[in-house]
Amino acid sequence: MTPEAPSIRSLPRTLQADALTPAALEAVHAQTLTVLEEVGVGVGGEAMCRALADAGAEVDLSTKRVRFPAGMIEKALERSPRTYVLAARVPEFDLAIDGQHSYLAVDGCAAEILDHETGERRPSTKQDLAMAMRLADALPEIGILWQPMSARDMPRKSQSLHELHAQFANSGKHIQMMTAVTPEVARGVVEIARVVAGGSEALRRRPIISAFECSLSPLMYEDGALEAAQVYAEAGVPCGFVVMPISCATGPATAAGTLVQSNAEILAGITALQVLVPGAATFYGCCATVMDLRSGAAACGGPEDLYLQMAAAQLARNYGVPSSIGTFATGSKIPDWQAGVENGLSGFASVLAGADLMCGAGLLFGARVYSLAEMVLDAEIFNLLHYLTDKSAMSLSDSIAQVIESVGPGGHYLSDKHTLQNMRQQWMPKLFDRLSWEDWESAGQPGPQELANERVRSLLSTHEPPPLDDGVEDEILRIIDAFERGDGGNEDE
Amino acid sequence: MSDLLKSLQEAILTIDEETALKVTQELLDSGMEPEEILESGMTEALLELGRRWNCGEAFLPEVVAAAGIFERCSAIVEPALMAKADRKVSDKAIIATVKGDLHDLGKNIVGAMMKTVGLEVHDLGKNVPTEKIIEAVKELQPKLIGLSALLTTTMPEQENVIKALEEAGLRSAVKVMVGGAPVTQEWADRIGADGYAPNAPEAVRVALELTQVAA
Ligand code: B1M
Repeated sequence: MTPEAPSIRSLPRTLQADALTPAALEAVHAQTLTVLEEVGVGVGGEAMCRALADAGAEVDLSTKRVRFPAGMIEKALERSPRTYVLAARVPEFDLAIDGQHSYLAVDGCAAEILDHETGERRPSTKQDLAMAMRLADALPEIGILWQPMSARDMPRKSQSLHELHAQFANSGKHIQMMTAVTPEVARGVVEIARVVAGGSEALRRRPIISAFECSLSPLMYEDGALEAAQVYAEAGVPCGFVVMPISCATGPATAAGTLVQSNAEILAGITALQVLVPGAATFYGCCATVMDLRSGAAACGGPEDLYLQMAAAQLARNYGVPSSIGTFATGSKIPDWQAGVENGLSGFASVLAGADLMCGAGLLFGARVYSLAEMVLDAEIFNLLHYLTDKSAMSLSDSIAQVIESVGPGGHYLSDKHTLQNMRQQWMPKLFDRLSWEDWESAGQPGPQELANERVRSLLSTHEPPPLDDGVEDEILRIIDAFERGDGGNEDE
Repeated sequence: MSDLLKSLQEAILTIDEETALKVTQELLDSGMEPEEILESGMTEALLELGRRWNCGEAFLPEVVAAAGIFERCSAIVEPALMAKADRKVSDKAIIATVKGDLHDLGKNIVGAMMKTVGLEVHDLGKNVPTEKIIEAVKELQPKLIGLSALLTTTMPEQENVIKALEEAGLRSAVKVMVGGAPVTQEWADRIGADGYAPNAPEAVRVALELTQVAA
């Protein structure tokens, strides 16, 4: 395993800023422990409650409330590995989660797509998802695949499995499940991943998928989320916890308050997982935002989000657990000025904060609509940030005084040898407009969306994803078929 | 309007629950008709808050909080109201987030806003099985059912509720309105719902329209 897979672009951790002072960090941690110890977390399943009680939690079975002593949280954090590999079907796409690199995921999971050919917003299909995966496979900036949109034309019961099928068939990159959130579906997912990986042991050695579970803010894990996490972890599939509170609605009104609650929910999830499967690879996920006070909608993209991104990633660093931080989730409806500002700042915030995973590229309208154009635009922002964090491009050569001397006052660098040798280090945007006014007019005054659509078309017309091994696709379809008929997703298959 | 009635309105508008409850009780003790307290005091205040929210002067948390105060003031006047034979009953509505779906924020907001126009809203909660909705319809005999679904995988539950209403012979007795982020007018038409709304203000408009048609 190479530390940095050549064909996926990651951001080296060379810039860093802390949103929280050491005192603020300590205060957030202390208040979090108070919440976990005194308020506790609602846990749906009775068996799960009992398991947590056996491990030292104070459990009220009548209310299904689980209170975690501080020691239990600390022990869980110690058990959580700091580094691991998110493997990929194609080994060159393996990702080293090592605290030294940030990777970009395709975001998920919209219900609609903004069609890049017709400009129409419409319900998404398995075909759309397949197309998005082929595009993501072609973009070196994308390291991880969430399910960008729902395969709404597939049977409800097996929708997640169809999504996984479309992903495996159209990209060789690491896949992270966000919609397979019940133990039954999780078992179906694991079964498929085993087929692609080449067996249970192969999947355990090289987890080509990972997953995450969401809390139901405030402070609940309901409906099999922890049980599903256990299914993944027992199969050797890394499983994180990602919270999505909305300040003023499902989180306290202040950003700092929402941070404490988020921290409590994530730590509760991680602690439960470490009780069930000690040493399981996990991650610390936060996609917090605020409620728009007029409409009640999730705002997605404001300064509170930036603070929460930075503070959450800092907490994760401090706990020594890899982080997955909500990034690039513009509230805008099209790839426009608002989307550019929100996502540019959001990307920068996650980089500064040292997020391990940035999720992710391509969503519009507060996570409701997917756009392939937005995916390549977000990748372009990531690319810009890659350049900024890549110290080699910005480092000073000892001899620069000599170069300056050779040109001298009043000269020019245009055809200087040093220029000819070094100019290709300059960042070359693919989608930023640097045309002359005249050229821009004769090109029809293209905006970001048109430029991005053009790039989407060109990538899709040429890129061929690495094919699955012979027979694998049939086997996946067989599993899905069995699952649909009701005899899939069983224990100990 | 009496000063006390005004201070009841003011208390609801400023989310001062303690004063609102106290004044409601005082008004009742002073011999004012419960209908008047309800309509000229409490409902008027909620309507005003709704107007302020519409023009951006008030924010959602205030509306939701005021709707809560309204409910607790109602509990004070209710016994007196029930004691009267000729009481005017407000239209009932049931709201719920469908089975399998835990997203309840939109439903809560829609419910709170529906109260601001005087509907008697019964919130069945989230992840509500169809059978429970049918039971509630039988028991409460509402004019309207509002169904929220935020997941493409739970949208079909809205259709299941409509089917179950048909099977139980209740479909003609009640109007069904659907909503939630992935829900569209087209979907509402396809599953035979009576109304659809993309947001809370529109939901209130449609709810009023449907309950009035049903009247
Ligand atoms: C009766 O008449 C009417 C009329 C109008 C009605 C109406 C009824 N109901 C609503 N309206 C309308 O009026 C309201 C006010 O204007 C509006 O209501 P809304 O509900 O749309 O708006 C609310 C006021 C604010 N909006 C919201 O509250 C939803 C925001 C988003 C970000 C969201 C949240 C917050 C949550 N989520 Co979830 N979540 C998303 C959402 C993305 C988004 N931006 O919508 C969505 C809906 N979630 C999604 C997913 C995938 C999931 N979520 C899940 C969980 C959660 C949380 C628990 C973390 C949390 C919900 C907390 C809660 N108490 O509700 C999981 C499912 C849980 C379950 N079984 O339900 C999970 C599967 C994630 C996971 N991996 O676990 C996606 C759905 C994808 C799809 N294809 O269906 C999603 C679009 C986000 C995304 N891109 O991934 C209108 O729709």
